[in-house]
Amino acid sequence: MQTSFTPEQLLDPHVAESEKILRRCVHCGFCTATCPTYVTLGDELDSPRGRIYLIKDMLENDRAADEQVVTHIDRCLSCLSCVTTCPSGVDYMHLVDHARIHIENTYRRPLADRLIRSLLAAVLPYPARFRTALSLARLGRPFGPLLKRIKPLRPLAAMLELAPRAAPPAGSAPAISQMPQAQRPGRVAILSGCAQPVLDPGINAATHRLLSRLGVEVVSPQGEGCCGALVHHMGREEQALDFARTNVDVWISEIEKGGLDAIIITTSGCGTTIKDYGHMLRLDPAYAEKAATVSALAKDITEYLFTLDLAKLEPKKLTVTYHSACSMQHGQKIVAAPKQLLKAAGFTVRDPAEGHLCCGSAGTYNILQPEISGQLKARKVRNIEATKPDVIATGNIGCITQIASGTAIPIVHTVELLDWAYGGPKPAKLARKAKALV
Amino acid sequence: MAEAIAFLPARASVLSQRDNIVTDLARLVPADCLIHEERELAPFEIDAFISYRRVPLAVVLPRTTAQVAAVMKYCHRHAIPVVARGAGTSLSGGAIPQEDAVVLGLSKMSRVLEVDYSNRTATVQAGVTNLSISETVGIDGFFYAPDPSSQLACTIGGNIGMNSGGAHCLKYGVTTNNLLGVRMVLVDGTVIELGGKHLDAAGYDLLGLVCGSEGQLGIVTEATVRLIAKPEGARPVLFGFDSSEEAGACVADIIGSGIIPVAIEFMDKPAIEICEAFAKAGYPLDVAALLIVEVEGSEAEMDATLKDIVEIARRHQVKTVRECQSATEAALIWKGRKSAFGATGRIADYICMDGTVPLGKLSYVLEKTAEIVERFGLRVANVFHAGDGNMHPLILFNANDPEEAMKAEEAGNEILKLCVDAGGCLTGEHGVGIEKRDLMRHQFTQPELDQQMAIRSAFDEQWILNPSKVFPLEGRR
Amino acid sequence: MLIPHSETDAAYVIRSAVADGRKFALCGGNTRSGFGNATEGAEALSSRGLTGIVDYDPAEMVMTVKAGTPVAEVEAALAANRQMMAFEPMDHRGIMGTSGEPTIGGVFAANVSGPRRFVAGAARDSLLGIRFVNGSGELLRAGGRVMKNVTGLDLVKLLAGSHGTLGFLTEVTFRVLPVPQTVETIVISGLDDETAAKAMAAAMALPVEVSGAAHLPQTVRARFIDGALPENEATVLRLEGLAASVAVRAEKLVAVMQAFGPVIRLGMEDSLSLWREIRDVHPYANGAGRPLWRVSMAPMAGCQLVAALRMEAGVDAYYDWQGGLVWMQMEADPEADFLRGYIRALGGGHATLIRASKSARAATPSFEPVPDAVAALSARVKQKLDPAGIFSPGKMGW
Repeated sequence: MQTSFTPEQLLDPHVAESEKILRRCVHCGFCTATCPTYVTLGDELDSPRGRIYLIKDMLENDRAADEQVVTHIDRCLSCLSCVTTCPSGVDYMHLVDHARIHIENTYRRPLADRLIRSLLAAVLPYPARFRTALSLARLGRPFGPLLKRIKPLRPLAAMLELAPRAAPPAGSAPAISQMPQAQRPGRVAILSGCAQPVLDPGINAATHRLLSRLGVEVVSPQGEGCCGALVHHMGREEQALDFARTNVDVWISEIEKGGLDAIIITTSGCGTTIKDYGHMLRLDPAYAEKAATVSALAKDITEYLFTLDLAKLEPKKLTVTYHSACSMQHGQKIVAAPKQLLKAAGFTVRDPAEGHLCCGSAGTYNILQPEISGQLKARKVRNIEATKPDVIATGNIGCITQIASGTAIPIVHTVELLDWAYGGPKPAKLARKAKALV
Repeated sequence: MAEAIAFLPARASVLSQRDNIVTDLARLVPADCLIHEERELAPFEIDAFISYRRVPLAVVLPRTTAQVAAVMKYCHRHAIPVVARGAGTSLSGGAIPQEDAVVLGLSKMSRVLEVDYSNRTATVQAGVTNLSISETVGIDGFFYAPDPSSQLACTIGGNIGMNSGGAHCLKYGVTTNNLLGVRMVLVDGTVIELGGKHLDAAGYDLLGLVCGSEGQLGIVTEATVRLIAKPEGARPVLFGFDSSEEAGACVADIIGSGIIPVAIEFMDKPAIEICEAFAKAGYPLDVAALLIVEVEGSEAEMDATLKDIVEIARRHQVKTVRECQSATEAALIWKGRKSAFGATGRIADYICMDGTVPLGKLSYVLEKTAEIVERFGLRVANVFHAGDGNMHPLILFNANDPEEAMKAEEAGNEILKLCVDAGGCLTGEHGVGIEKRDLMRHQFTQPELDQQMAIRSAFDEQWILNPSKVFPLEGRR
Repeated sequence: MLIPHSETDAAYVIRSAVADGRKFALCGGNTRSGFGNATEGAEALSSRGLTGIVDYDPAEMVMTVKAGTPVAEVEAALAANRQMMAFEPMDHRGIMGTSGEPTIGGVFAANVSGPRRFVAGAARDSLLGIRFVNGSGELLRAGGRVMKNVTGLDLVKLLAGSHGTLGFLTEVTFRVLPVPQTVETIVISGLDDETAAKAMAAAMALPVEVSGAAHLPQTVRARFIDGALPENEATVLRLEGLAASVAVRAEKLVAVMQAFGPVIRLGMEDSLSLWREIRDVHPYANGAGRPLWRVSMAPMAGCQLVAALRMEAGVDAYYDWQGGLVWMQMEADPEADFLRGYIRALGGGHATLIRASKSARAATPSFEPVPDAVAALSARVKQKLDPAGIFSPGKMGW
């Protein structure tokens, strides 16, 4: 597509990058068809092509973001379904990242919006604060319907609805690898994460147990924090980069200590971001190289397990519908591995219709855009329930929380099922149901 | 960019009433169905034909036929141009608006209304995508046959506007052959129905006339289309040749022998490389031209047909023959082919031609096309429906270089004239739109154009429906 | 009758007629001109003087022929190259009691097709291009000779089936297809009309490419192929193609159809005769002159219409196109409003009065009347092609 930037504008590396991305777009419109918001709203402004056009117009004219542009960019889930679809290879992810930073820098949001975003940015990435907030949410739940009636406060109502009703169960202690050091297939670090361990500590526990049983040496380096995705998607670039630098430092020092074969991530949303550290920090001479090293080591747990030779197990009478998180299938292009692992472990695996569409979770999207998120959740649940599964498996805590709030069918992390199949305890959520089945 | 093709001058009487028009439209459709802020109008200034753009006066995205009718009635009364838009995937600029026009987008009317397997029909709203019909009925063993490359995104309404074809129309025909009925809003807001679940028309074949009329005769809001039982199996086979001429001659021989495969697609070397880079379909990269020939039916049937086709290909010194081994492989082969245009965006901007020529002229036209493009100092990638002579040379250029963009347009014009002179036509399935409007004289005489325009006037006396398109501005009455 | 021998002559004759205020009833061989509302005082203008194959390259599967060329000549030329018109145009002489040579122009002007229409399209679907003289005496072209063409308005479709009310066809270019290597027919016996409709729908949902689906009730069954079909009602399904393929598909089809009733298979020779007779409405090609209707509806609605009519009147009927085409011979003069009311009530379609007594024809619109808005639009379209109204005004209702 034709672009019109001045040579001066192109001196800004962000603009130069966006220009390159825009030049690739031939405006064919394929992306509209697989975009969850376009499919839901039927308005090109809420499609990738429409947003690309809005961003192009804003950047070319060096204009501050305005209400219209912000409305439509905010509605983007960053699910990256368009990136999978795009035949021209338009790097929408980095374009919309740039637009979000531009919005954050040039647009003053209404007060309520500002407060909610600041609240989310101040709480979610920090496990201790998040844990406290969840307890408060349980107390605040009765006020949900009231908040819902006041439009600017709807995100608060959405938050209350999403908060788990009961305190999450603590994970059982991982077994220690018994294998002699020399025969171990690898040494890996597991990202502890921020929101996930609070919402469901069982996931990382299962990962730890499974890897240990497989002989992998698992380390948990001290000092790592949130991957930065949550604030990154709000356009808060400096905060995101700070998170990234902290984590890069932690892992690089761990590599220096004993070497790492992989950095294991059990939340695909984080995986997409950590794999992008190399790009995010490319302009920081002190970190560019180290960040690239970290990105290259980052692996989703299923991606890593797939490289190990897991035994093929007898079929079980349990039907699993696999929901591929957007950050998994579109962000990281991991499509087959999780399903093949589940099949090899003996589960019957089903795909829901419209598997490419987002469930509406998308980081903080279900809080900030509750209406669209709700419609997408209903659509996703409908498609999943149509496959009549015993259990839903997915690789992202956001999707787990979102989908669980819309269906009675248990939903677990893929690795919890794998851990169970290969000798670990039955996932707590299946405790009642699965007894009869296996 | 300098523009060689003029739009109609905007009607000052309409522009001056802009605010009033927006206020009035706001009474006819819900708030989220009306777009009028300057920023938000910009994305509607363009479709997939990227050389021209015009910001419209307003955009309405109605949810019901009644809302469409109300908007049409209003625009008709005030002589406000209306440009219909489906998914905005037109490659001829059919959906590019003009400054004094209201864009009437059907994207919110995207429901499949009824699937009737006993009568083998589906009734859908105009904004339903082409592919979603086949997805809806596929599970029950049926499909909707026309499959334009943009089928993932393009809408049935747009398909009707352009009488869209696709790769498989060699066997199943184009939109007009698969369309049974429409509900349509006439220019004055009257709602009519043409056809239905039955075959043939009671009076004149107005349905046939509407199909391919590029949004100039009315606004289709619902369509009833024919469903077909899916074949037992389908198998695409790749045939690689050392020259485009041999590949072209092979196509003519296959058809001439009485074999009609479901599809015969052609790609030259640049196109093969582009598509392989995106789809990783395993196209051979060491050949000058590739044919994708698809046969369908039972295993025995496909084997028998393929044996004959392979024999013909051998007579044309085929270099590689690759039969597809699985459904996944077949899907990739088609994904690569159907993404060819978009995938070209990885290496350059392009304009895509759509001339159709008699099969016997394929090789000749390919050769001449290469000469023309070379003369302009440009590059070309060829990817097209060889079985029905519908050619799609993609002329590659840099949209940021105005001179090169101009050259690309000129080269394109020469290629289209070449197609007409070879006994073909300007456009097989993309439509005339704005792109080929001024070439219409090369194919038709003035009395012929006058006759078409007169019939157009029978539907739209004031010429408010997509008025800048199809017919050259000069010589209009 | 005026018979111009060149396009130029035709254009001249028409221009003169405009000047003189004369009217024409356009025709070819005049074998199917009998239906449609009569036009008083119109002189016949026939294309039969324009004959000959202009261009035919079998490898291109496209033929260009002057409009007055006899269908027989076209079919012979095609047969010599093992090709055919996929839409199987019927011969109206039997039911209309006419003689003479049907012309290719007439086939397209009346959009005539046959049993394969429901899968392969009508005449209009094969027609690629035309040359014609409009009502102002201008010689014009529309379409071309390629299969895919969306250049300008599709006047080809508009003129096809306009029964000579919009323009005088002088030349037609159409797509042809290879003749199938073999033909076989599956006959299911003893199904009532409704069950037959279900059986045909089931057959069409199978991946066996049925190319003909007709139901011949007991009243007509014996009148086909010299009574060689088995006793009772016959539901017939045609398969065409490569011999090996037809054999495989036939087995699959039989396996499914056996659930509906006893099945036998007809070989190639009987099949060719049977489908020709279905095409030409053989049971009613009796010169009896009883009112004959041709009704097009949704496939499942055809039998419902006949069942409804049987409660009120004597109807003899059989079905083609999976049940969607109903040929009905009535005992008495037609009650068109009554019939057409039922069609509307059953989801729509259209009934054409093909044959009736002179008085009945004068009192009954031959073609299904269309809603006012569509009629007004049609009249405007005619006015644009035939401003002076010299081509059979009123024949189609406007």
